[in-house]
This record gives sequence, C-alpha cells and structure tokens, in this order.
Amino acid sequence: MGQVFRKLFDTFFGNKEMRVVMLGLDAAGKTTILYKLHIGEVLSTVPTIGFNVEKVQYKNVIFTVWDVGGQQKLRPLWRHYFNNTDGLIYVVDSLDRERIGQAKAEFQAVINDPFMLNSVILVFANKQDMKGAMTPMEVCEGLGLYDLKNRIWHIQGTCALKGDGLYEGLDWLASTLKELQASGRPTAIGTSTF
Amino acid sequence: MSTVVSRNYHDGSSAAVSSLEEESPSNTTKGLEMLLSQPGNRVCADCGSPDPKWVSLSHGVFICIKCSGIHRSLGVHISKVISVNLDEWTVEQIDSLIDRGGNTAVNMRYEAFLPGDVEKPKPDALLEERFDFIRRKYELQQFSAVQTVSASTVSSFKSPLQNNIPKNKYFEKQHTGIRHTLAQAFRNSWSKKGSEQKAFRSTMGMVEFVGLIKVNIIRGTNLAIRDVLTSDPYVIVTLGHQTMKTRVVRRNLNPVWHESLMLSIPDPIPPLRLQVFDKDTFSTDDEMGEAEIDIQPLVEAAKAYENSFLNSEPIQVGKWLATDYKTLVNDSIFSLVDGKVKQEITLKLQNVESGHLEIELQCMPLSQ
Repeated sequence: MGQVFRKLFDTFFGNKEMRVVMLGLDAAGKTTILYKLHIGEVLSTVPTIGFNVEKVQYKNVIFTVWDVGGQQKLRPLWRHYFNNTDGLIYVVDSLDRERIGQAKAEFQAVINDPFMLNSVILVFANKQDMKGAMTPMEVCEGLGLYDLKNRIWHIQGTCALKGDGLYEGLDWLASTLKELQASGRPTAIGTSTF
Repeated sequence: MSTVVSRNYHDGSSAAVSSLEEESPSNTTKGLEMLLSQPGNRVCADCGSPDPKWVSLSHGVFICIKCSGIHRSLGVHISKVISVNLDEWTVEQIDSLIDRGGNTAVNMRYEAFLPGDVEKPKPDALLEERFDFIRRKYELQQFSAVQTVSASTVSSFKSPLQNNIPKNKYFEKQHTGIRHTLAQAFRNSWSKKGSEQKAFRSTMGMVEFVGLIKVNIIRGTNLAIRDVLTSDPYVIVTLGHQTMKTRVVRRNLNPVWHESLMLSIPDPIPPLRLQVFDKDTFSTDDEMGEAEIDIQPLVEAAKAYENSFLNSEPIQVGKWLATDYKTLVNDSIFSLVDGKVKQEITLKLQNVESGHLEIELQCMPLSQ
C-alpha cells in the first residue's frame, strides 16, 4: 500500500529524470537552444566540435540534454549517444531549404536506429523569425514525419533567440514521457553490455 | 552526397566510416589544398587568425572558427558556412571558391571602401567586435562597391548580394528586436570576464574532441578455441566511454573482418582497448584475449603532418619496434598517405593462450 502511494506521489510531485539527445545538421541552432534552456540567455556559439551536455529542469522534469556536433563527418558519432535515450530533439534550420533533403536523410537514419526505436521524437523547426523560413508544416513534410508508423512525434516552431516554442516543446516531451512511463511502456532501450 | 544518404547506423561496421576515407574525388582534395596554400587563405579573412579551417561558401572566404560562429548567426541566406575538415566537399563548391579568387580577392571587393575609422578585428578580438564588423562587411555590405560585386559574383550559389538587398531592408525593419538580442548575447558572453567567467564556465559541459580515429579491424589469426573445436569471434573497441563492436564471424579461428569503426578522441587521450569475445547464444560470451594501445603518438604524428599535402607515394614517418613492445608481433609502421597518418599494428592478444589481431589506425586531428 505504502509503495503504491509512493509511486503515486512520484508520479505527481516527484522529479523525473529524462535523457534527451539533440541532433540536427550543422548550424541548425542546437547549442543556442541548449543554452537558452539552461541559462535563459542567448550565447554566441561556435561550431560544436564534440558535444555539450547540460541538465535542464522544467516543471518537475530534469532533462539531461546532449547536444552533439552536426558537421557531416561528426554525424557517424551520433550513434554513441543513442543508448538509454528517452527522447530525441531534432533541430532543423527552417531557413535552409537547400538542405532539407539532407536533414531528412539523417533524421530517418537516426530514428530507425535499433537504439532509437522507442524514443519519442520532438522536432524543432527553428529560426521561425526569419523571413522566408519554412513553416513547421513544411518542415514536417520535408522530414517525412507524416509517413512515420507507430512513432510518437511532435513538431514545434521555435525561435531560439527569443526562446519562442522551446518550453512548449519541453512541455510536450515531459507530458508524453510521463504518460508513457505511467502506462508501462519503455521509452529507452537500455543495454546490458554496451 | 550519396555517402550521407546511404549511411547505415544499424551495425557497427559499414558505411558510417566513409568520412575518414579518401573517397572524395581527389580533385576536390587537390583543389582544396591548392586553395589553402595561397598565402591569403592562410589567415582568416575577417580577423587574421592563422590557419583558418572554415569557409563561407556564400562569399568564398576562409575564416577561423570564432568568425565562423558569427557568420552562422547571420543565417544561411547571408552566409553558408562549412568546414574544411568536417564536411564533404563537392567539385562545384571547390570550383565556386576558386572562381571567387580566395580571401585576398574577396576582401579587395568587400573591403574596398573600408573607412579609416573602422578597424578590422584582430585575432584576439572580442566576439562583439567581430559581430559588428562581419555583419557590416557581408550583410550590410557597407565597405564594398555593391554594383561591382553583384555584377561579378559567380553563379552556382545564389548570390546573397543579388538576393538580399531588398530582404536586408525588411530584415532591418522587422528584426531589430532579435538582432538586438543577439548583439546583447555577444556583450553577455564577453563581458563575463575574470571570476565571473570562471564560475560561469563551471556550469558549462562543453567537451571538445581532439580528433577522430578510425579503427580498421582487419583480421585475427590463430585465435583461442572457446567452443568445442572453434570459436565465434567478434571484437569490441573501447575509447573512453565509447564502445563499438564488429560483427560475429561464425566458427572461425582466423576471421577476416575488414571492418572500420569510428570513434572520437577525448582529451586527455585514453588508451584504445580491444577485446576479442566468443559469441555464445545461451551463456555469457567468453573472453578471447585483449590488447591496449597508446594512441597518443598517432595523434601527435597526425597533428604534426596535418597541414602537409604530400600526395605522392606513401612515406614512412615513424615506427614502433617489436623489440620494445611485448604486445607487438612485428614492427608497427606509421605512414603518411594522402596527408593522413596511418598506423599498422599486429598485436599479440594478452590474457589468452593464443591469437594475433591485425588492425590499422587512422587519425584525423581536429585542431581549430
């Protein structure tokens, strides 16, 4: 009985920890988003040759967010961050129409990786403040989100500089992951040996 | 581009590794080398830092990583930035760079009318100074003779000049709010000096790779028997927190893998660990020996030869003598092939009764 209450209490009031990996082509705005969420400021960033990791608390969820460099030759390294990942944040530069095909190819490769099959997918259609940016709907189409079967996904238009949309996205991530965990569905594929 | 699309994340083997290979047509490599060897391109077009490793394709200039961050912040419609080392180049991209004539020629246009009171940023310039200068130089084009430039810009990329003159105006009107935020950001980042900066830093979890390493697992010979008469061997490669494994070769004591695994090299550089296992279906996999390699010398060598463009015959640049290392079967050769340093190693597996493992390492340093 006590355990049941404990569980209920945790469900409603306890802090949950979630591991999130943030990927996307180079210059999509991943690092800017991470630090806007982490310290609430827009930092000037340089290309990430490696990764950044920060804890971001939102409501009662502590997200550990991994932000991994997006240059072509760094993309094969993304898979090192897939284990035990509850959620994927995929960031798209909505202004970069020329490379939406490339963004799709990388996106599809990531979400079809065996380690990512259970993770929920949040897409940030970033740089919405720019004139001529693709709408979230267009980004949705560009990435092939409509064709996804049996995946839980959400797309959010964002402007990292102003912070628009970022917390709405986290809101969705938090409530979706909580629902899934409450229903007993695994959100991450853990690995015993690797 | 096909390498990106066809990349297979599913098994540790495979295409994921293409990037370190010299698969790009040699004319792109040659073209880049030719460009990088021009004196004007050996310093950042905006701040003069030596050895720039980034390029603004929109404007045809070689720039340093700090200035590349500013270029990126202006948006891809103003400046499209790619990395010399970390991106795959197409022939068209190289051609467009060549057509524009490199840093010297481009600066002559973009800085044709640099007023006496505007000073170019120095290599140690604060980010805010860079931001102001770069924005005025490329986005607002305050120092260039616009007519001349737009007439002479080369096709293939949509010239930001032709496209954006009306857009810029819009931009000015509509987005001053955000621009202000961004400019503020630069102020924020550099005003946090001294102790405040340190305190601030401690909350930041930036981990930088010093390079990438490709581990090519070639073959095993005379491996130990773990099942009745044979084994089902596979190899696990570990570097720091990263682990990758090869496929299992069934019933073979002399397996040939020819599998390339790519890992990033953290700093400080940990030893590279290789473990051979026998795959068992119903029980824990059995150990078949292991080996450790110090990859520091390889990384050092790769750094030393980073900017050498010797496309001739492979040359030997170093050697580990088998007599000095008990784990080596024969001498391990470091060679320079197409500007990349490789190391061939045949290892005696440790903590096991028998077995050799033949591997080849290739390192790409990521100094900026």
